[in-house]
Amino acid sequence: MKTHLLESLVIHPESEHSDAPLKHFRLEVDADHWAWITFDMAGSSANVWNTTTLREFNHCLDHVVHDSSVKGLFIRSAKDKVFIAGADLKTLRSSAARKLEELIDLGQATFNRLASMKMPKIALIHGACVGGGLELTLACDARIASDSDYTRLGLPETQIGLIPAWGGSTRLPKLLGLPKALDLILTGKLLKPSEAKRVGLVSAVAPREHLETVAKKMMSEVEHEMPVARFRDRLFAPFIASKARSVLHHKMRGLYAAPFRALEVVRRAPFTSMAKAMELEKHAILDLALTPETERLIDFFFRKEDASKKPWPTGVALTVHDVTVIGAGVMGSGIAHWIATRGNKVLMQDISTESLGKGIERIKGLLDEGLKRRAITKQNLRDTMDRIIPEHERVPLNHQQLVIEAATESMGVKKKIFADLAARASNDTILATNTSALSVRELAETVPHPERVIGLHFFNPVHRMPLVEIITTPHTSDDVIATMVSFVQRLGKVPVVVSDSPGFIVNRILVPYLMEAVHLHESGVPAELIDEAMLDYGMPMGPMRLLDEIGLDVAAHVGRTLDEAFPGRFAKTSMIHDMISQGKLGKKTGEGFYTYPDKHSHHTSFSEADHHLMERVRERLGGLIGEEARRISEEGIARSNEDIELAMTLGTGFPVLRPLLSPSMH
Amino acid sequence: MKPLFIIAAARTPFARAGSSLASLDAVDLGKSAVSSLLVRSGIDPHVVDEVIFGCVGQPANAQNIARVIGLRAGLPESRPAMTVHRNCASGLEALTTAHAKMCAGQGEVFVVGGTESMSQMPLYFSRRAVDKFTNLGKAKGFSERFGAMTAFRSADFSPVIGLKLGLTDPVVEMNMGETAELLAREFCISREEQDEFALSSHRKAAAAAAALQREVTPMYIVGKGVQPVLADNGIRPDSSMEKLGKLKPMFARENGTVTAGNSSQITDGAVSLLVASEEAVNHHGWEPIGKMVEYTYTGCDPRRMGLGPVRAMDAVLHRAGLTLDDIDVVEINEAFAAQVLAVRQCLKNPASARRAGLEEPLGDLPEAKLNPRGGSIALGHPVGATGARLVLTALDQLRESKAQRALVSLCIGGGQGGAAILERV
Repeated sequence: MKTHLLESLVIHPESEHSDAPLKHFRLEVDADHWAWITFDMAGSSANVWNTTTLREFNHCLDHVVHDSSVKGLFIRSAKDKVFIAGADLKTLRSSAARKLEELIDLGQATFNRLASMKMPKIALIHGACVGGGLELTLACDARIASDSDYTRLGLPETQIGLIPAWGGSTRLPKLLGLPKALDLILTGKLLKPSEAKRVGLVSAVAPREHLETVAKKMMSEVEHEMPVARFRDRLFAPFIASKARSVLHHKMRGLYAAPFRALEVVRRAPFTSMAKAMELEKHAILDLALTPETERLIDFFFRKEDASKKPWPTGVALTVHDVTVIGAGVMGSGIAHWIATRGNKVLMQDISTESLGKGIERIKGLLDEGLKRRAITKQNLRDTMDRIIPEHERVPLNHQQLVIEAATESMGVKKKIFADLAARASNDTILATNTSALSVRELAETVPHPERVIGLHFFNPVHRMPLVEIITTPHTSDDVIATMVSFVQRLGKVPVVVSDSPGFIVNRILVPYLMEAVHLHESGVPAELIDEAMLDYGMPMGPMRLLDEIGLDVAAHVGRTLDEAFPGRFAKTSMIHDMISQGKLGKKTGEGFYTYPDKHSHHTSFSEADHHLMERVRERLGGLIGEEARRISEEGIARSNEDIELAMTLGTGFPVLRPLLSPSMH
Repeated sequence: MKPLFIIAAARTPFARAGSSLASLDAVDLGKSAVSSLLVRSGIDPHVVDEVIFGCVGQPANAQNIARVIGLRAGLPESRPAMTVHRNCASGLEALTTAHAKMCAGQGEVFVVGGTESMSQMPLYFSRRAVDKFTNLGKAKGFSERFGAMTAFRSADFSPVIGLKLGLTDPVVEMNMGETAELLAREFCISREEQDEFALSSHRKAAAAAAALQREVTPMYIVGKGVQPVLADNGIRPDSSMEKLGKLKPMFARENGTVTAGNSSQITDGAVSLLVASEEAVNHHGWEPIGKMVEYTYTGCDPRRMGLGPVRAMDAVLHRAGLTLDDIDVVEINEAFAAQVLAVRQCLKNPASARRAGLEEPLGDLPEAKLNPRGGSIALGHPVGATGARLVLTALDQLRESKAQRALVSLCIGGGQGGAAILERV
């Protein structure tokens, strides 16, 4: 076994420093001879694993092992929102291969050592417990989670191109069984405490203040034993794995290596010796970590984190509590629903009581869905409904901080609404329009105080789409931009700030791409083939099907706006207008490029020639996306090339792995 | 008296019990009225010092319903709330309690109102059944439990109707309808007179439907789909003496005259008012819709609770130094046609006035001044809410007719009367 080598790597440096004071941990042994290790990383609001913290944790284990009076071990975090947020990705991203291997070895050895210590060990989990954080707790004999909203458990490694390699890919399937473990590892989803209890990841859920009491009671029942893989899993592993592989392939077309690699490790590691399992995990992560794909995924993760958290560099951000949404249509009610679920009061205005009724119905439908998925409780549902006040009268808006107009996409209608809003609201009420293509500047210049006018482009369906384009005009004040950036962040969405220009970023790129797809279709390429080609390219949905989802009329409207702004640049197609005049608007009318309800069964098989054609479709459409992105970059509409990529990925599902633009110079 | 200013008002549609609002409880109704009040007045909820709501049949799961309403409507947690109960005048009591608090220096701005879901009045078990349930709960072991279970008789499971209990005077053990029958007999008010009064209530309400509609905020009832409830549904524009005449007396089978048609309807609804002191009005620059300048409550014989308004009106006019002639609009709650007609008689006729405890009659109350937009016979009487609705309706009439002064009064189960004088600002 290689363990002794690893041990030497771990133990050796410690024996020199074992008396060094602890910086990131506290170690106490109480009167009942229970040892308590508290992770409290210095100078940080989160705990993360890096070489330093792993080594220091080892020192703590030394003390525990050497103190023969200790009968059991508790591990907890001193942070308010984080148990352990996993490995320090920043060091991981910049590590050389040898350093990375050392870090993997150190983590594996540490957690293996913890697992084999001959005393019961319980992890008290409050706050985010993800990646290497969860892997630590898997090396314990039992886990207890707090019922807090901050507590989330999961192994999201595959989402950034890695796999759990500190024993997680081996221990999780032993604990939960292969199917449940695969589900967690391949999707990278994070579980709430109640869900974690249901799948068997934690043995109890308790209020944060009771964790210690519950853990102490549990100590007498917990036995130290090494879990073993289930016989059933061993028997069915090939079958379970092949099923999971086909699901993965259907979802991501083999573009992303990590989930497939994780699948290979998880189906084998639990059924072999620990040493062999560690080797499997380590080889997989070393193969994956240093590829450009994983670097892109990690960079994307950081960019998204930055965009979700960093305040706007200038101006003062005010906290928005109450919001007025104008329009109870699909977008209006979608926006109202999302804002209300995040704890804000929403005044939903529409001149028609019938539209308000339909809007409320849609919102209730979304909440009912959430209730069914157990994403929310009955009380959440009632509270959210309570926060939404439908009103058809012209009520005063002078105390409102923010009004979001989501009415019909017509400049005439919007100007009328804005004139009315300006009359009802105070001079510093932020007036936002949820347009997808109209000029925010033109609208702004029709009202007094245009500095408070801004575009907030939510995407449909609002509750699923993470991106909000924030559109600024030359008039928009920095305070207003800062306030909107922080507001969108507080909604749990990712803001991308873009200067007013036809189509902003996403529609400017997406709509010409869609029109070109129609053009290809018009010239004889079957819709299924175009869609298949782009699915292989990495788009989550083919362009023809996406057009059906958006609605042909909506797409054509944006297309017209862009065509007027950039005459002669984009493909002309009469087909889409013919279809609109025939009432074939897509899914909502039952027919577009496909007919609905979708049969979905006709799996067309493609010939060699078809595959050749698909390659050309990809070149054509992919090239078009790249070209338009470059133009946007040159025009300076976006703040950086990274923002353009972020917007495309979050707004259209454009594959992270495909470089769209070269990095911006900062 | 220091005036209390009424800044804004909102109410739900009034819907017959068991109809369009039946799925909502008194909290939902009150919450809607308060939410709408906040939105329509456009005030910052932080300026509100306290929430005071009237409710006669508080739901068991919402003790101190005013607090539940305040929190669910989004008033700040730091603002306290209290529930008041003065039977049928609870909605007016909320307003007058706010006045008392204002005078005592305990707040400047109040959200007040009343709410009632007559559809969701609870059913109770009888005392005997409750004892048996208690025994069952305490029983240990099979034989004890079996014994406790077999003690139940089928009669134990027939419920006691909360609504009926609430409408019965516990001291004199008379149903409210029976007190109306008593007045009809003693003041010689015929069935025809009562039916005519009821018909006129429906006709006046139908004629004023547009004005009444202005008071109403639509409700969006979530069930299977969402049904917007836009308007009151109790008014019967097609009512006629013939139709009313066909109804059977409810409280005295033989020779009775009080029917469902000439009594107030059993209704769901809520009303909410924003009220404030003069200082607060000036401070915030509000434009009030009116002010309450005087009010009082008086007691009378519980058997003849319908006469409550007589003494109350006398007392309030006396306190204000006014006579009936100084009043432009009078709103007397139409609990029963017989009861309002008896009150009118007592105001005018010296002999009747003395029977009601007045030394002198107050004078004739012309038909045109009394309940010009109809009353609870047409709109319904959600008991906890009506007092506040009368204030709202009276003020809107002053606004529309540019008249100066209104008087609202209610008879109150248990033998009381309440009255208040309102002025246009």
